[in-house]
Amino acid sequence: MEIKKYLLKICFAFGWMVTLLISCKKESQDSSTNLPVVQAYLYPGRTLTVKLYQQKSLSDTAKYGTVITGQELYVSDGSNKVKLTESSKGTYTYNDNTFLIAGKTYTLIFNYLSKDVTAKTVMPSKPQNFATQHPAVNYIRPTNAIATSDTLNRFTWDNPDSLNHVLVFDNVDDTFFPLGRGTGFGNNTSNIFDINTERKSAYYVVSNSFPYYGNYQVILLRVNQEYINIIESNSLNSNSQNLLNVPTNVVNGLGIFTALQADTLSFSLNY
Amino acid sequence: MKKLLLFLLVLNFGQRAFCQQQIQKILKGNTLNKFVARPLDDLLDTLSANYNLRIVFERDSVHRFDVVEHFFNEPLNKVLDKVCNQFDLHYWVDAGGIIYVLQNVDDMARLKGLARILKPLERPKRDTVKADTTDEQDIEALYDNKNKPITKAKGEPKQVINIPRKAPGVHLSVTISGRVIDQSTGTPLPSATVHIQNNTLSVTANSDGNFTIFQVPSDTATLDVSYSGYQSEHFKMDADKLSKPLVLGLYPALTTLNEVTILGQKNGVMNTDVKKVGVLQLSPANLDKLPSLGEKDIMRAFQLMPGVGATNESSSGAYVRGGTPDQNLVVFDGFTIYQVDHLYGFFSAFNSNAIKDVQLYKGGFSSQYGGRLSSVTEINGKEGNKNETIYGFDLSLLSLNAFIETPINDKSSLVLAIRRSYQGPFYDKIFKQFNTSTASGFGGGGSGRPGGGGFGEQTTPASHFYDADIRYTYHLNPESILSWSFYSGSDKTDNSRQLQLPSFLGSGSAPSITDYTTYGNLGSSLKWFRQWNKEIHSNTYLTYSSYFNDRNRGTTGTTTDSNGDATSFSNGTVESNNLKDIGFKSEWEWQLSNQIKLLYGGFGSRQHINYDYVQNDTTHLISQHNTALSGGGYTELEIDPNNRLHIQPGFRSTWYQPTGKVYLEPRLSASYVINDNYTLKAATGQFYQYMNEVTREDVLNGNRNFWVLSNGSSIPVGMSRHFMGGISYENDLFLLDVEGYYKVLSGLTQFTIAQTGVGPGGGSQSVDENFYTGSGRTEGIEILLQKKLGRYTGWVSYTLADAENKFAVYGNQYYPADQDIRHEFKAINMYHSNRWNFSAVFIFSTGHPYTAPLSTYSITDAGGNRSTYFNVSAKNAERLPDYHRLDLSATYDLLKINGNKIGSIGLSLFNVYNHVNTWYREYFIQNNAVVITDVNYLGFTPNITFSLRWK
Repeated sequence: MEIKKYLLKICFAFGWMVTLLISCKKESQDSSTNLPVVQAYLYPGRTLTVKLYQQKSLSDTAKYGTVITGQELYVSDGSNKVKLTESSKGTYTYNDNTFLIAGKTYTLIFNYLSKDVTAKTVMPSKPQNFATQHPAVNYIRPTNAIATSDTLNRFTWDNPDSLNHVLVFDNVDDTFFPLGRGTGFGNNTSNIFDINTERKSAYYVVSNSFPYYGNYQVILLRVNQEYINIIESNSLNSNSQNLLNVPTNVVNGLGIFTALQADTLSFSLNY
Repeated sequence: MKKLLLFLLVLNFGQRAFCQQQIQKILKGNTLNKFVARPLDDLLDTLSANYNLRIVFERDSVHRFDVVEHFFNEPLNKVLDKVCNQFDLHYWVDAGGIIYVLQNVDDMARLKGLARILKPLERPKRDTVKADTTDEQDIEALYDNKNKPITKAKGEPKQVINIPRKAPGVHLSVTISGRVIDQSTGTPLPSATVHIQNNTLSVTANSDGNFTIFQVPSDTATLDVSYSGYQSEHFKMDADKLSKPLVLGLYPALTTLNEVTILGQKNGVMNTDVKKVGVLQLSPANLDKLPSLGEKDIMRAFQLMPGVGATNESSSGAYVRGGTPDQNLVVFDGFTIYQVDHLYGFFSAFNSNAIKDVQLYKGGFSSQYGGRLSSVTEINGKEGNKNETIYGFDLSLLSLNAFIETPINDKSSLVLAIRRSYQGPFYDKIFKQFNTSTASGFGGGGSGRPGGGGFGEQTTPASHFYDADIRYTYHLNPESILSWSFYSGSDKTDNSRQLQLPSFLGSGSAPSITDYTTYGNLGSSLKWFRQWNKEIHSNTYLTYSSYFNDRNRGTTGTTTDSNGDATSFSNGTVESNNLKDIGFKSEWEWQLSNQIKLLYGGFGSRQHINYDYVQNDTTHLISQHNTALSGGGYTELEIDPNNRLHIQPGFRSTWYQPTGKVYLEPRLSASYVINDNYTLKAATGQFYQYMNEVTREDVLNGNRNFWVLSNGSSIPVGMSRHFMGGISYENDLFLLDVEGYYKVLSGLTQFTIAQTGVGPGGGSQSVDENFYTGSGRTEGIEILLQKKLGRYTGWVSYTLADAENKFAVYGNQYYPADQDIRHEFKAINMYHSNRWNFSAVFIFSTGHPYTAPLSTYSITDAGGNRSTYFNVSAKNAERLPDYHRLDLSATYDLLKINGNKIGSIGLSLFNVYNHVNTWYREYFIQNNAVVITDVNYLGFTPNITFSLRWK
């Protein structure tokens, strides 16, 4: 009799555990698809521009999401809070070129679908002594597709504090002449590409750095970590075992709101 | 009178163990020289009468066979072979010396019943029978009055008086220790049950077949010995026998015999230890009754039991109770195996022909084991046949597997088993399924072309796996055994090929690409067993294990530039991870009394891990060289205060040099037998893990697994606590076992590696290694209902479970772990009919969790390039479709005339209704939209196996 009572108790205990386990099932309704996408690059001395987009459905083949219009956007530099005007659909601007200054912290604030969307960034100082070893070099054909090819040129700048820098190569010619048949080496096919220099103060370009001959505008960007985070993320090769959200500095939103400073020089890759 | 009857029976049983040998001697030693022309039953009766044999057969069915044959001095066993062969019959000598003549093996049970009611013959005394007698005696009917079966005992007084009664006077309260072996091969039988007749004393032999029982009331007691797949035996003791090393030999049961005489004895393919929480036992000998895909696979077989995940086709490793395969310690003859599978996880690395038995401890395990968070798989290799040479092979569409067991001399024996795959269509199918899906990616720039960027030269790589087991056992003296075990297994893939050079590179000899991948494990141990006295024995090991996982890719060739100058080039990457583990351990068992057993021991090891990722022989992307020394000891008590209660408190401590700390692991398990049917059991404990297997994700070339050592900072020492309990109900036919568990884990490690600077720069490459640490918790309930006996056997099991992890990189919430499965149902059905075994295995489980993209968004970067990103669901918030499949198999046993199984032919059908089970999903962006591809597991796949054995 005693045993039966005992067994009954155990059965109850198990039943209780089963109920607990089943009731643990979580609701996975995700409202994150309604979050706005912010894109804003703040340069001192330029118009402050913020673009707002909606997200796209997975099957959407449009390049960008639908723009978000009719919002009231504010940017604060800590002491002043200014309201942006919608200069074109989904693009919000503030025209006072003196508003963006190195060293200040800027905060974007707006309310979208009853949620406060905010983002914060610090304006870095301007890079100094950006220089190229040669203003123009002749292209040297690399020995093969995989080999490390010879150094063509060196770009240098001051970086005593090991700040983040990105180099942007922009082929400014009207017509592009590929280096080889097909698309050249590497997997870059664009006339604009950027390279993370990883907190260094120099970058060496090699033969297969470039897709095209011609004149390049080389822009050195001093950037914040949030910018590095987003350009280092790559969604192209993903599967359900390794998917991760791309880091963003926008609270209740996606995308980027970041301040950066630039310096530019010219470089030619000749035949 | 009744008492006397019982006494006589007991005496008779005491002699049984020696009967089979005597009968075999009689069969081989006596010859028949005669022309026979009579019905078979008549002949059998004559043999029975003349040679003092007990032959049981069904007269009705045997009478119709007429023997017309002239035997020229043929031994009796040849005579039996000949007549049985002629009429398609079998004969089988059981442990009691009774010879059964039967048409189908399933007739055995009926004949055994018949034997019980048959009246034994009044036989002439053994010494009155001439060896070559040709006497013909007409025999009276063998059938006795069925209403009086008890007369059996009366009919055997003559046997009773043959029992040697040299034994001196009865001693009270003696200690009996001995060894249980397979009489036919001489190998020990671990976990055999030894029971004192008419007493409650009972012990289980340890892994070397040794046992000790204290306070046996009398030195003339009778021991009942039983073991799965063997005929139970009764051994009568006397002072004379007890003065010598006691070896108790059992004979194998007729292969298909489904008979259990002792409650709790297990005859199944897979058994649950009802007295312990979370313990599974498996004898590979019975594995061919289950569907197999290519190979009998011990790890796959465990996956059919509750609590072990069954839906990871890409891993033979055990996902035990929400744990991952690297949290499962795999010990093979004392050394740790780090690479437990072949062919991308589809097959386990263990050759069942070389394995004696396997235990899987699903948690709360003894303090004898440590170094893993979740579970322990202990594999013991075969010792090898000490009496005769056996050899055989298995052939399947996947591999060839050959073995030999042989005595070297009277003191030593050798086992050798080798297996190698061959690249048939079956191998290729599995290889492709797992290789192309793990290694495929989408070339840079979103080209959407599988096979990795560059020059998509798709060739079928040459690939194979092999493994070898060698075990040499040497009996130094009756108390000491030395055994050397060696294991080597590896997978090799050669994807080398000739590249077609694009013309813009100029002319030159086409470069060749070399691409070798090899991974595996090599291990060895030297074990010294010593029985110090009746109470104490020890096992001391020297162990070595080496894991390797290497990939060597390179390009060599020459190019000719526009000036006509030829330049040769050579470059590539070498990635190499290897682990070397050298250790010693000594494990002692001291039986203090029948109530208390003390287990204690010490261990020490040195682990060294190299991980190099080298480019062009010069650039070291990753260079890790870590060494860890560790050592410690354990102690455990097994306390049985009475027949019902069993308490096992234990303690383990480990010093781990990289952190400089001592880790203490208390353990406790207990069981309580409520009555003959019900047992309660529980276990708890703390566990540490000092190394982890992490995955380097590489979408272009396939993920790479490698082992890293904890360092106390970026890779912490893992820790878990287990709480588990259960109740089981068992009767003669059924077992119902319910267990629940709860585990908490901390110090879990995940690894990601980001290769930077690969972009258009092509120049300096570097690698960012990120180790993330987190915690986890798992809980669940397992229900098992097993039918143990009869033509139809099998089990159904259901598991309700939950496994969650928390890693800061995915947020502050617990999320479903990758291996989390909510519901899992398994039905294993086996039906046996004569020489046929049929089985059907159905598995259903909730889909694995996964992370899905919910939407995309595009951003133009500061340089003006547009990139598209995924907005990703919460970590593992989605579920893949439910997994289910049905496997079928049919096996036909090949039997010799004397009933010994010599082989089998089997057909297995995997995933019979070709259900599409999803492994994972791939996403890539094409034309701004997301293309989703399901990567699936194996569809319908048939296989044929063929096995043969000789001796």
